Amino acid sequence: MSQRDADGISNLEYHVLLAMAEGPRYGYAIKTAVEGESSGALQPRAGSLYRVLARLISAGWVTETEAPEPDEPHPGRARKYYGLTEPGREALANEARRLRDVAALAEDRLGIADGGR
Amino acid sequence: MKDFPLPLIRLFPTPFRVQFGADITEQIRRDAEHAHARGLMAGLFFRLLTALDLVRAAFAERRDPAWSHPGLPSPNQQDRATMLTSWLTDLRHAIYTLRRSPGFTVVTIATLALAIGVNVAIFSVVDAVLLRPLPYANPDRLVYIAASAPGSDFPDEFGVSNEFLVHYAERSQLLENVSNFNSFTNTLKLDDRIERVRMSWVHWTFFHTLEATPMIGRLPQPEDEDLIVVLSHRTWRTWFGSDPDVVGRTVEISGQHRTVIGVMGPEFWFHREDVHVWLSYWLDPETLNPGRFGDALVGRMAPGADHDSLSNELTALAGELPERFGGSPRYAAVIEQHRAVVRGIREMLVGPVEQALWVLLGSVAIVLLIACGNVANLFVVRAEGRQRDMAVRRALGAGRGALVRAQLAEAFLIAAAAAVFAVGLAWISVPALQQIAPRRVPRLGDAEITTLSLVFTAVAAAFTALACGLVPALRASSPRLTRLHESGRGSTNRRHWGRDALVVGQTALALVLLIGSGLLARSFWELRNVDPGYDIEDVFTFQIAPGDDHLVDAATFARFHADFAERLAALPGVESVGMVENLPLNEGVSMTRFLTEDTPGAEEEAGVRLPQTWAAHGYFETMGIEVLRGREFTANETAETSGNVVISETAAEALWPGEDPIGRQLRRADLETWDTVVGVVEDVMQNSFRDDPMGHVYFSFVGQPGNDRVMGSPAYVIRTTRTDSIGPEVRAAVREASPTAPMYRVFTMEGLAADSMADVSFTMLTIGVAASLALVLGALGLFGVLSYVVTQRTREIGVRMALGARAVKVQRMVIRQGGLLLAIGVVLGLVASAGVTRLLESVLFGVQPADLITYLGMSTTMVLIGLLASYLPARRASRVDPIESLRNE
Repeated sequence: MSQRDADGISNLEYHVLLAMAEGPRYGYAIKTAVEGESSGALQPRAGSLYRVLARLISAGWVTETEAPEPDEPHPGRARKYYGLTEPGREALANEARRLRDVAALAEDRLGIADGGR
Repeated sequence: MKDFPLPLIRLFPTPFRVQFGADITEQIRRDAEHAHARGLMAGLFFRLLTALDLVRAAFAERRDPAWSHPGLPSPNQQDRATMLTSWLTDLRHAIYTLRRSPGFTVVTIATLALAIGVNVAIFSVVDAVLLRPLPYANPDRLVYIAASAPGSDFPDEFGVSNEFLVHYAERSQLLENVSNFNSFTNTLKLDDRIERVRMSWVHWTFFHTLEATPMIGRLPQPEDEDLIVVLSHRTWRTWFGSDPDVVGRTVEISGQHRTVIGVMGPEFWFHREDVHVWLSYWLDPETLNPGRFGDALVGRMAPGADHDSLSNELTALAGELPERFGGSPRYAAVIEQHRAVVRGIREMLVGPVEQALWVLLGSVAIVLLIACGNVANLFVVRAEGRQRDMAVRRALGAGRGALVRAQLAEAFLIAAAAAVFAVGLAWISVPALQQIAPRRVPRLGDAEITTLSLVFTAVAAAFTALACGLVPALRASSPRLTRLHESGRGSTNRRHWGRDALVVGQTALALVLLIGSGLLARSFWELRNVDPGYDIEDVFTFQIAPGDDHLVDAATFARFHADFAERLAALPGVESVGMVENLPLNEGVSMTRFLTEDTPGAEEEAGVRLPQTWAAHGYFETMGIEVLRGREFTANETAETSGNVVISETAAEALWPGEDPIGRQLRRADLETWDTVVGVVEDVMQNSFRDDPMGHVYFSFVGQPGNDRVMGSPAYVIRTTRTDSIGPEVRAAVREASPTAPMYRVFTMEGLAADSMADVSFTMLTIGVAASLALVLGALGLFGVLSYVVTQRTREIGVRMALGARAVKVQRMVIRQGGLLLAIGVVLGLVASAGVTRLLESVLFGVQPADLITYLGMSTTMVLIGLLASYLPARRASRVDPIESLRNE
């Protein structure tokens, strides 16, 4: 994914990675996490979401993993769980750092006081 | 609606769908529930937007796949690679298994190679003659134009005369251009080379009508002098050594020097392929002499015109001819009855052979079908031997597709190998076909194995592979695992409907071909037994064109003839010598109107139209034409004017019905001199053995004033038992008598007779070959099926025999089974034949398409061969040893 490294990663990609940062998640759980964590700004539809997920897997940042303890009883097929790989964690961390830096720059320029956090 | 837009998920590439399809479905279902909870509109909106998203994403994924594992080939490539490998594995496996059964392999390849080979050969001929476009621009707009005059004594269809050409060219709205065409032979002289060749004497618009362009030089123009000539490509090559500076050189035709103005391209021909040169002329409408019917026309229709409206227009235009050009009352009467005949040019050029060729292709296609049947049958039997193997493989997880593929691989290998041999076979047989085919089939010489032939071979082979392999493959891979239990045991009463139907079909098809070839053989026999009025054995014939300057009139020619005939008669083994202007089977004769002393009525329409020709002493004797009354010409009558004439019996009957013609007088309507009948001879068939005998009037070539013949190209006939070896001696005699005279059209009457029957003999031979193949293959098919059945029923037969059944009874049981299939096949074959043999009608002679004897005879042949094929397995069945057969279980 050298191409995308140069371009940075998209907002949706960031949130998808973020959704898996605490541990593997299955598809619909990722979607609800993205919606919640972006405060509803991102409401990815199925086609777009899974193309993003596919791209992240192809890039080696996300991988299909063993299911953790089932968090909710679920009839029918076994769900696929996806989790971050080491490069995925790193990419997420880099992006988080970059976001923090640009956010700091903005606060600096606007003269917003650091709230001590 | 409930699932919409889930089906759109299928738009994604398969690998993507496999990985994420279920997740996408879950998300859409759950979100849809939430959306519907907010109301109907929200739900609808959700579905619509999701659908758009799916479509957009699916296409984006196809264009620029996001789903590809690093380090692995892309899913598509991977699929393709796997498919290729598994095909290769299948093929390798097929080669291995086929090598283990060489008998099966050789038999199937040989059968199919033979069947595909004859198809490719005939197809190559069909391609050259029928399929390739005619070498003219927009050939669809070219038409053949002739005349008919229903109710008159003119032939059904006849050529028109120059005034038609002029009038049509000036007045027709529907014709863009029009010309005449014809062909005749004349002497072509270039330096020392003198030959009699075919030429065409055409109006200068000929090439313009065909929109043909010359390869070298230019085409005739109206302002050209008459003394020009256009060469065919072949003449340019063989006479002028492909001289690029040929334009301006001269050739001599009938003593006139003509200047070469152009050379046509190699592809150009019209109406006959052997036309060497085109002489062109220009017509002066003012000096036309109407009513000399003879030439057909070729016209180019204006875009949008059709044959019917053109025919109507031309018929109307012809009605104006007597008024414009004058002519006799008889001419006006013919015009009164005239109807223009208009046909497509393709129909005129290749129409006469079209149906016969398609029938041939159909016949060999039937052979291929029968061969496929046999091979498919062998495959089925083979596959049944491996049923257990298949069932095991299936149980171990092999998909049905994989099993079918494995089976098909063998069929494709066999078909491919057969195709290779087939092309070789066709390559050998196309020249053979060209040898035996009737000479007049246009473009036959162009037949060769082309790319299209190879494509045809490939298609035929692919069809064959599928036909032979698919049914057995599907059967053998059938997912009924119960077959595992069947072990190898023959289930005694299982009927093999498919296989029985195959035998019935093969029998029916083979019988159709047998009956077809039987009808043709009978036609051939009938033709051979026709009495044409002359002998065809022991007669050697040739023409010469003595061009010596001193041969200026009939008297000088008579002296030349006397000398030459004497030289011929002196050759060893020559019994007699004769001479005639138009030899039967070689040249046509012209028709003239004859009057007798007591012909009543106005002269213009009175009299009888009869063929006329000129003959010399010895002609009737040499040809074996019997003199019925009176005598033939004496040597004296050939030397000087006598005013005597010989007529044939039909002519006698037409001129003097019921009276003795000897001593009566007749004259040509265009001459004033009367001739006296001195002899009546048998009628002869002039053009072919299919003709009705025609009444001839034979003049002595030294005739009365106005009816003298300086014979430009007399045909000599020699009766000798040495027809095969006398040629060189005759040639030497010609050189002595007239050193510059070309000798040509050298035949035996036997050869001419064979040529005239070539349409029947060619069709008979090819369909005969097809029928024989079909018969043998059909019999083999029946034999194979019954043998197999006997093998399957060995145990049952053993039990029967152990219980006391006699061998004869067992035999009868097997033969009965074969006989039943045969009987059904024969009935179907008879019904099909009754429908199909009508296609042969134009070739048949002396036999009806529904000839009972042929139908019975061929059915009997089929049944006998079939019973023989049943007898062999039946005999084996009756020799089953009960103890052996039971022990084997």
